[in-house]
Amino acid sequence: MKNAVAMQQSIGRRDRAPVVSKLILALVFVLGLVVIYMGYTGMREYGASGFSAESAYSAIHALGGDTAAAWQKKLQPQLDALSADRRAAVDQAAAELLTAAWENQKAGGAADAQAMLDAGDGETAWKLLYATYLVNGPKVSTAIKKELAALSGSELAETRVGLLNCIADESAALPKAAEAAAGGLTGSERTAMLTQLLFVANGSAEATDQVNVLKKGVRDKAAQLDAFRMIAGNEVSWVFQLVVSNSRTAILVGIILALDALLLTLLMMGDKTWIIDFKWIIILLIVDFLLLFQLMPLIYMVIKAFFPESSFSLETFKRLYTYPLNLDALKNTLIAAFATMILGTLLAFPLAWLVGRTNLYGKKFFRALFVLTYMVPPYVGAMAWLRLLNPNVGTINQWLRALLGLSDAPGPLNVYTLPGMIWVLTSFYYPYAFITISRAMEKMDPSLEEASRISGGSPLKTLFTVTLPMMMPSLISGALLVFVSAASCYGIPSIIGSPGRVHTVTTRIVEYVSLGQQALNDATGMAVFLMVMAVIILFISDVVLAKRQYITVSGKSVRPAIVDLRAWRVPLTVIVGIFAVIMIFIPFATIFATSFKIDIGKTMFAENNFTLINWTTVFGRTETMNCLKNSLVYASVTATVGIVIACTMSYLLQRTRIRGRKIPDFLITLGSGTPSVVIALGLIMTMKGNFGINIYNTAYIMIIAYTIKYLMMGMRTVVSAMSQIHVSLEECSQVSGASWLRTMFKITGPLIFPSIAAGWFLIFIPSFYELSMTTLLYSSTTKTIGFQLYEYWTFTSQPMSCAMAFGILLIVVFLNFVLNRLTKGEFSI
Amino acid sequence: MATVTIKHVTKAFGDNVVLKEFNETFGDGEFITLLGPSGCGKTTMLRIIAGFEKPTSGELYIDDQLVSGGKTFIPPEKRSIGMVFQSYAVWPHMNVYDNVAYPLTIKKTPKAEIRKHVERVLEIVHLSQYAERFPNQLSGGQQQRVALARALVAAPKLLLLDEPLSNLDAKLRESMRFEIKEIQRQLGITVVYVTHDQTEAMAMSDRIFLINRGVVQQCGTPEQIYNEPANQFVADFLGKVDFFKGVSANGRISLTGMNGQSIAYDGPRTGKVEVAVRPEKLYFSPDGVLEGVLESQYYLGDVDDCRVRVGDVLVRVIANGYEYKSLHVGQKVRLGIRDIMVFEDDGSLEQMLKIQT
Repeated sequence: MKNAVAMQQSIGRRDRAPVVSKLILALVFVLGLVVIYMGYTGMREYGASGFSAESAYSAIHALGGDTAAAWQKKLQPQLDALSADRRAAVDQAAAELLTAAWENQKAGGAADAQAMLDAGDGETAWKLLYATYLVNGPKVSTAIKKELAALSGSELAETRVGLLNCIADESAALPKAAEAAAGGLTGSERTAMLTQLLFVANGSAEATDQVNVLKKGVRDKAAQLDAFRMIAGNEVSWVFQLVVSNSRTAILVGIILALDALLLTLLMMGDKTWIIDFKWIIILLIVDFLLLFQLMPLIYMVIKAFFPESSFSLETFKRLYTYPLNLDALKNTLIAAFATMILGTLLAFPLAWLVGRTNLYGKKFFRALFVLTYMVPPYVGAMAWLRLLNPNVGTINQWLRALLGLSDAPGPLNVYTLPGMIWVLTSFYYPYAFITISRAMEKMDPSLEEASRISGGSPLKTLFTVTLPMMMPSLISGALLVFVSAASCYGIPSIIGSPGRVHTVTTRIVEYVSLGQQALNDATGMAVFLMVMAVIILFISDVVLAKRQYITVSGKSVRPAIVDLRAWRVPLTVIVGIFAVIMIFIPFATIFATSFKIDIGKTMFAENNFTLINWTTVFGRTETMNCLKNSLVYASVTATVGIVIACTMSYLLQRTRIRGRKIPDFLITLGSGTPSVVIALGLIMTMKGNFGINIYNTAYIMIIAYTIKYLMMGMRTVVSAMSQIHVSLEECSQVSGASWLRTMFKITGPLIFPSIAAGWFLIFIPSFYELSMTTLLYSSTTKTIGFQLYEYWTFTSQPMSCAMAFGILLIVVFLNFVLNRLTKGEFSI
Repeated sequence: MATVTIKHVTKAFGDNVVLKEFNETFGDGEFITLLGPSGCGKTTMLRIIAGFEKPTSGELYIDDQLVSGGKTFIPPEKRSIGMVFQSYAVWPHMNVYDNVAYPLTIKKTPKAEIRKHVERVLEIVHLSQYAERFPNQLSGGQQQRVALARALVAAPKLLLLDEPLSNLDAKLRESMRFEIKEIQRQLGITVVYVTHDQTEAMAMSDRIFLINRGVVQQCGTPEQIYNEPANQFVADFLGKVDFFKGVSANGRISLTGMNGQSIAYDGPRTGKVEVAVRPEKLYFSPDGVLEGVLESQYYLGDVDDCRVRVGDVLVRVIANGYEYKSLHVGQKVRLGIRDIMVFEDDGSLEQMLKIQT
């Protein structure tokens, strides 16, 4: 009786559920629209009030007093050091610039400025000008900012003095750092630029960071001040005030709410029961994250590329691809990627066959060795090959010259060329094909080949008529992976290509970004090319090839038929051994040896050439340690966030039939297929406050970028582990009386733990040594070890960077060892 | 068509000896089954015949030609053998026709002739209308027949079948059993068939080689090894059997634990013995030799599966349903025995029955 009542009640709930759900959905949707409307109205108000210099001044007092004071403290000694007439001249220049800027802002601005100057003390002109230029001053390109940031404290002080002198006296020689920015300017334009440079050249990392805080503060404060003014005049309610000051964020939140409501409605329409499932909320959260940080930047970039001035135009592309340097870059990228693909596959296939399917001596060792390359940062390989093939002091060139009796002229090999770059790309990316191919080879049912043998086919005939055709889909997808990885690689071309004037699409994008705002559009055009290519290849290998995939990788393990090499066994082992020595041993040994050298042209054992100073210097610096700490922290956070999403997604994909679970799966796949440089560029363009989120120059933007790029590595690992666990194991636990949560922790969790650990490391390791995205996203406080290494290599000293590179390698090898232990040998990379 | 002569073949993987001193001859046109539990070495023997494994020692002849042994080794592709694999090994990137034509294509047979042969053999396996299909469009049974057609198309002198029916469902397995046997009879081909399914072996074979732990336990016709098992393992592996301990003296065996009841025995063994009785060779009869109580009775349709307690021992009886309709559980019954098998009790029974995997 009681049961019947309860049942009826639950039926009643079921009946009411559709109404309640529909109501909630409609409400959320309407709420989204309302928030969008409010945000839009707010933005109009906000736009009308603008960033006035007046509010900037208020803001600098409200928020940035300390910053200004700290900055003042830096500038003051140099101001004080000036001679009296010079001092008067620069103060005068500052006052003039200020009045000019304020007059530009609003009619009668000059009078306002004068009034403030009269009321203030001697430093007021500088403070006000600083605040004003922060909001609306001459633009300084990112490249110059970075150049200035790279200067030491004393150099900066020197530059500042130089700048002040130039402001006071137009004929004074420009400091080196200012040449590029102010070289062609004259008159007040020149003075304005010099002053802005003076403000930018404020030295230490803390200052840059505080400027960022201040900039954001000035911007927000400006809107808030306007809002307060309106409230004071009883113009709007407090709710509206909140929205006004965060109008862009409001629009974004509104769009997401409305989109979520729409998506959920679509999902529920298919489901028919209209009961809101908790799992949908999780899916939506993941989808929202990916929409916001992955899809929106990509779409924005495409729009920017085709609508550079808010109307459709192919101007960007025309300008880009008629510029010979870019055409070269395009050609180089395609040639290099194609050649790397062919070479890499030609190397990988025989190696995979020899190691996986023959009785080659030491094949387990070789296999581990080839896979090892997979976890080495590409730029470390590039550095090693540079050391070996440098036309002047390259070790191999020295040997060759000695061997062939050539003169001491450079050569015969030169790594700073397209073939040189292809060689290095190949040496780094062939393991991608090797791993794909050997996995398929080892999973192939040996009786398929035996059937051919017994039908009269010789081993060679069998290889060509059965093994190769069956392997073809894996072979092609391995090759395409090499192609797309090589085309979107930045580390190798930046180290090898740039000095040799071999440009690629990625290096061009990074150069464009460093040129500042205008060039960002051009970078977008290049990025769209890279993205389209990546998407096409992703489509081919995930959709077209997947349908023709004969070998199921997740299948039960089989004992592959081993081909007896007979007389060839020893010679082939020797050949593979020599290959391994050339590809792996020599490069790493070179890095190791170089790190102990004083003169890199001589051997480590030459007289007075052995030193530990590189190691002690590099790892003795606080900066290095900070970068190392940054890398470890960002990579840990990325891996942890990533693995949580990966586990959630695996559960959704493997254990539920819930509609819409493929949406985040698709987005994650797309994210990992998007070239790193493109991801970073998209984030730069959309995450600096123009869409209501300002995480530019913070650690968040880097962690988000890493997550988007490497999430899939972890997800695939966990998904495939979960697919191996039959659902009956979980059902049995539930039948035994365990709750869902308990089952997850007691049964599923422990069973897939090795894979979860492996997934964590698979995200951690590439995030740890990442370079391409970091190059675009770092700020002086968020430098990572990868970027630090790149800077050392380019600007400081090769032996020191080799010490650092070897340090990174040791850390990665150690992590791999931990992973191997943690998963009882089941996983290593 | 072909004879296979195996002389002292031994195979070891490292220290693990999987075949010991295999020494047999398979006659021309014979259907030979290698039967045994998994891991007994039967598949290894088949792969040695095919040429996928080399014997550690010993020699293998096909039609008096030495193919493996000493320094001689003829690779599989030169042995002119047909083989069907457990996983069928039908190539997924070729259609049915190309799969079947493959052995002839390798031999560079003229196109027209290939077509003739392929069509004939597809006819035999009832797949004529599927020639253009790809393996992923075929059922397991059809794939299995493609594999069979491919093995037969080049008219091999010897056909090897490695558990070809184990992945099929029960009904299909039964019909394929007769089809294979029928094809073998038509073509008069020598067949070596590997299975762990005793019913399959009984139904198809001319001779069965029952193997355990790398050693041939018995070889003979299905009747011979079913009715005259050489040892307890053979008796146990083929069909159902119960073992009872007893003592044989003066033409009778008194059974241990059965209240001193005894049965007549005119065989040669005396002293401690083991008596093996197949449950279907027992029957209910008022003048049966053993007395007991009917303890349980399960209706299986064609027969009834019963347990009778005789003294302290439970005896299984499979009886025709109509013979004892009046019996009910708890009733006293008498059992007649049609046939028994008597082995010496050397204490090795447990050891022997333990199946090594």
